[in-house]
Amino acid sequence: MTRFAEHWRIALGALRANWFRAVLTALGVVIGVASLVAVSAVSAGAQKEVQDSIRRLGANVVLVDGEFISIGTGQSATERTITPADAAAIAQLPMVTAVAPHQDMESLTVSAGRNQTTTRLFGITPTYADIYNQTAQRGRLISAADVDFGRSVMVLGLDAQAKLFPGGSAIGQTVRVGSHEFEVVGIQTRKGKLADENLDNRIFVPLPVVLRVLLGGANTKSVGVRVRSEADIEPAQDEIAALLRDQHNLPASYADDFSTEDQAALVKEAQRATTTFRVLTFALGGIALLVGGIGIMNMMLVSVRERTREIGIRKSVGADPWTVQAQFLIEAVVLSLLGGLAGALAGIAVTRLIGALAGWETLISAAAVVVAVSVALAVGLFFGFYPARRAARLDPAAALRYE
Amino acid sequence: MSADGAASILELADVTKVYRDGDVSVEALRGVSAVVREGEFLAIMGPSGSGKTTLLGILGLLDRPTAGSYQLVGEEMASLNESRRAHVRGKRIGFVFQAYNLLPRSTALDNIELPLIYAGVSRKERSRRALEALAEVGLSDRAHHRPSRLSGGEQQRVAIARALVIRPSVVLLDEPTGNLDSASAEQVLAILERVHRGGATMIIVTHSSEVAEHASRILRLADGLVVADEPTESRVALGATG
Repeated sequence: MTRFAEHWRIALGALRANWFRAVLTALGVVIGVASLVAVSAVSAGAQKEVQDSIRRLGANVVLVDGEFISIGTGQSATERTITPADAAAIAQLPMVTAVAPHQDMESLTVSAGRNQTTTRLFGITPTYADIYNQTAQRGRLISAADVDFGRSVMVLGLDAQAKLFPGGSAIGQTVRVGSHEFEVVGIQTRKGKLADENLDNRIFVPLPVVLRVLLGGANTKSVGVRVRSEADIEPAQDEIAALLRDQHNLPASYADDFSTEDQAALVKEAQRATTTFRVLTFALGGIALLVGGIGIMNMMLVSVRERTREIGIRKSVGADPWTVQAQFLIEAVVLSLLGGLAGALAGIAVTRLIGALAGWETLISAAAVVVAVSVALAVGLFFGFYPARRAARLDPAAALRYE
Repeated sequence: MSADGAASILELADVTKVYRDGDVSVEALRGVSAVVREGEFLAIMGPSGSGKTTLLGILGLLDRPTAGSYQLVGEEMASLNESRRAHVRGKRIGFVFQAYNLLPRSTALDNIELPLIYAGVSRKERSRRALEALAEVGLSDRAHHRPSRLSGGEQQRVAIARALVIRPSVVLLDEPTGNLDSASAEQVLAILERVHRGGATMIIVTHSSEVAEHASRILRLADGLVVADEPTESRVALGATG
């Protein structure tokens, strides 16, 4: 034990004597570990974001989108192919637990007094909240009565509220959409982002108001369909397709005039774009560690050469080959370990920076940091072994004569 | 001081050493036999290239003989592996080199403690014994000086303290005064003589006959062979009076 402590003292002393060289050598390990820590934090964050998004958007939801109705050779500007009867028929399918027809209008400019903002407006029914996990932070959500009576009421996303009513509560206030006025009755709980869209910039009104007052027509663009379980998603898509083709009397040679999508798959797809980037950065981190390891080996070889005489002296006073080997191995390990720890700190800092600048969700796990530092340790052991072995095998008589 | 009756510390029998460098081989030792007894102060002399440094290297287990037998305190050294040799070296042999060979970044005290570290002596005991050894060579006030802040004579005295701190069976000295001015050399020789009188077995390689005069016996080498092995005059004088 005494001797082990002694090795540490000797190793730290030797590194201190050539500290600048040691720092430069450790830099490869620092960069490698930092990128491993940062990439794994970004990865874990992205993974968590996917889970969160799926949870926020509702699990086991199939989104059915209708296409624009063809009129002769042209298309209706607003009218879609999914009818209220279609939605009702889908609701009758055995694996379906709820349906929520909804209609949205994108890039819609709305105003409140002098403030205006561009938002995405959704016409919904109460089942929407059910399927898509919508809750009210304040006030209430769109109710069945709102839908039945076609009330001009509105629920705001948090960011939409902030833009329309900076510094004040929106509840009871009026929002104008074109010439139509809505009374704000509730504020939606924070939803965050999905891919590029800010889900808190959405606003919600009763579906009939959108259909009759803002757009005209009775059909909806989309129907959210919740099925019993994840396993039901694919068969449900097939059944819905068959049902709608039947409802729409489509001949076999005609293409579908609607589409069905697994909502969770959409979320995962959106995240896949960043996967390539992450894999690449991970690989670069690995390469940096490898180069760092080679740097350590190079420095240790130089160090063994420079200290040949010292090794001879130590051997002449009783250091056996194992002791000499341990001394140099510990030196390499100390170097890589310090590099690893510095890299972990740098990685955490970089992660914070990425989180702040790119707005990505990140998740630094203790396990990832421990693994990265352990890898650095392993690099030191691996690349320090050969130089240490060389030192151990030096012939004492020749080492003492070395100038 | 009765060398003849004392137990033998080391015995060499027909030791040869051949250095090979590619196709060229040099016979540094061509069959050396000698016995050194406890308490002896042996000087090995001879012209350069006679094999005296090679012989000292073999005695100190820094080098292996090509053939022949070497027994140190009754144990055959030829067959030991490198690790065992290191332990014997650390336990039984104290070295003093011409070039001092102190670790430049360590203090005098740390240098003296070095053999004790490898011998597994506890920290407290180490520093006690090192301070004691430092006092023996008269450098107690230099304990925390690095070699670069010591004179050549002082460095060599630290090296002597380092050699003595393990209480070795034999002290091997390779031209210990070779780099020193005459005043420092006198001091070092005085210390060595005192150590010898204390009962230590010492073997010194030198080509200075003044240095060799301090020894009790001189072994002369030439071309890798022992050409003479005789007591010195001081030994004779001592024997005559004692």
